[in-house]
Amino acid sequence: MRIRFWLLAFLAVALLFNGVPAGAKETICIGYSLPLTGEHAQYGEVFRNAAIMQLEKFNKSGKLKDTEVVIKFEDSKSDPKEAISIARKFIDDKCIVGVLGDFTSTVSMAAGQVYAKAGMPQLSQTASHPDYTKVSEYQFRNITTQAFEGPFVADWAMGKGYKSFAIIAIQNDWGISAAENFDKAVKERGGKILDIEYFNPGTRDFRAILTKVSRKKPEAIYACMMYEEGAMLLQQRKQLGIETTVFGTSSLYSPKLIELAGDAADGLLLSTTFMPNSPEPHVREFVMEYEKRYGNPPNMFAAQGYDATGIMLDALSRAGASADRKAMRDALAATKDYPGVTGVTTFDPKTREPVKSLARMEVKNGQFVLIQQK
Amino acid sequence: MDPYLIQQIVNGLSVGMVYALIAIGFTLIFGVLNVVNFAHGEMYTIGAFAGLMLITYFGSPLFAVLLFALAAGCVAGICLERVAFKPFRRFRDEASLKSRAMREATLLSSLAVSIIIKEVLQITYGSEMQSIPQKYLLNDPIPIGPVSFSSGQFVILGASIIMLVFLQYVLYRTKIGLSIRAISNNPLGAQYVGLNVDKTIIATFALGSMLGGASGMLVGLYYGAIFPSMGFAPSVKAFVAMVMGGLASIPGAVVCAIAIGVAESIATDFVAAGWSDMIAYSFLVITLIFFPQGIFGQGRERV
Repeated sequence: MRIRFWLLAFLAVALLFNGVPAGAKETICIGYSLPLTGEHAQYGEVFRNAAIMQLEKFNKSGKLKDTEVVIKFEDSKSDPKEAISIARKFIDDKCIVGVLGDFTSTVSMAAGQVYAKAGMPQLSQTASHPDYTKVSEYQFRNITTQAFEGPFVADWAMGKGYKSFAIIAIQNDWGISAAENFDKAVKERGGKILDIEYFNPGTRDFRAILTKVSRKKPEAIYACMMYEEGAMLLQQRKQLGIETTVFGTSSLYSPKLIELAGDAADGLLLSTTFMPNSPEPHVREFVMEYEKRYGNPPNMFAAQGYDATGIMLDALSRAGASADRKAMRDALAATKDYPGVTGVTTFDPKTREPVKSLARMEVKNGQFVLIQQK
Repeated sequence: MDPYLIQQIVNGLSVGMVYALIAIGFTLIFGVLNVVNFAHGEMYTIGAFAGLMLITYFGSPLFAVLLFALAAGCVAGICLERVAFKPFRRFRDEASLKSRAMREATLLSSLAVSIIIKEVLQITYGSEMQSIPQKYLLNDPIPIGPVSFSSGQFVILGASIIMLVFLQYVLYRTKIGLSIRAISNNPLGAQYVGLNVDKTIIATFALGSMLGGASGMLVGLYYGAIFPSMGFAPSVKAFVAMVMGGLASIPGAVVCAIAIGVAESIATDFVAAGWSDMIAYSFLVITLIFFPQGIFGQGRERV
């Protein structure tokens, strides 16, 4: 009995010492709330891949002396309730000074209420609903909002001579804001919106909607949806023999779209923040390394996640290893000319909106091709 | 007649037939065991993924792929029965045999198996949609007059008819079919008469899941994309179709499934597409209130 007691005591002490290795490195944590399971798991997967890549690069670079940054990933399942409990967990974790995520605007805004009250800075890589940054001064994003993208595509489409449109959009906060912003932008420029159709997330059969919309004979269709639904839509549009041109939001940009839709995707026009064929060295390096590590070329979502993590880490290196959450927030707000793979990013000092540019792309012969601005 | 309306009806028929394909296997299992098999949608998904694997690794002709999907569905069904349904039948005393709690337990166990299968598929394949190589797709447009059909729609129609006829044949002309009908009529009585209940139940599951697996493969070929949670949405509608059709009537379920599909399609013309899901559910409510025995069925005790 006595031997057992001393053995246990020895073990306990040994374990205690384990917690303090020689030459101890400080750890700072960033929380990442993202959908790793559920309907949006494929997006969470690429965010995590890109974040890990960026994190390793950062830790190796030694920008923060004697400090190791750790990212704690939590699965939000794209569910606002989960995201809120993850938010509380992150807030209670003393190590975490900043949070990345979530994927959809709905979930980001729901969790944002909790982060705002607790003073935790939150940077979403994809929430593009205009109201997200209005939640509090702790909310940031590095993607252009629909308030920016809608008029951009409207200018483009009307510049090509299209005057009447039909909008097919997914029924969630983001889809509704995309549709409404495009609607407003087109009407301001003198065009006509003949129909706006919302469909439930998870719909895979668009034939009924396409038939209804083509009855009104629009000159072009604006599709506000993710790339899987987009692929189904394009395929079914071809099968129904509908020839109307389709414009798309930047969320349609993914190699998977071409894989799923085949030649039905040819002729699709869309805006994007990420151009993988860009000759710039840091983009090439990102694309090559991502493909080497994960087997697939990165899509726009991976690029957004990569930049979001990069911006957060960059702010951390400016704020210093002993930064608290308020200091992180201020460092994030001061981000200027961050050289990301989705373009040079600056946060507007008053609204915290990212100032970036969008580019135009077309699908030609199964490839995404950049349309040169004249 | 308005070509757009005809096109909508055609669209609705194709959607309805997808529901019908699942409803066939679903109703068969419900008819025999009087319990909903929540994992049926996953048999559908497994058939689709099995077919995809065969295509990817062996590039076999279409016919072989379909046979493989049938076989995969059959095997999956037998395993499902063993894991989720059999353990609840091990008590042989009179009270347990008549108890409803056993059947309700299988509701949950099949739900659990369905979640496990879905997550395993997601871990193995990732959650992206998997695409099917172009040359296998049944997607070629066939314009007939102002309406555009797809080759896939004819294949699915043909497959539904074949499956229905095949099932009716098995149920009414073979010995195992006789056992199935006997057990669905009176399980206790069938046991007393000496029918091998276990074997018959295995056969039912094998049959139902086989059909489910084949439908999964066909629908995958039609839409060109398969993903781990593809079984969920259609199986909910198939369940509604089954209740509407009278719980044990397979032709009834098929007719109601097609009716739901067409109704959804035509409704899109009048209300926003987002409300079309409500059509199926309002049908369910109307059926439960006004036709509690289903439109085609005889009275059945329901869980």
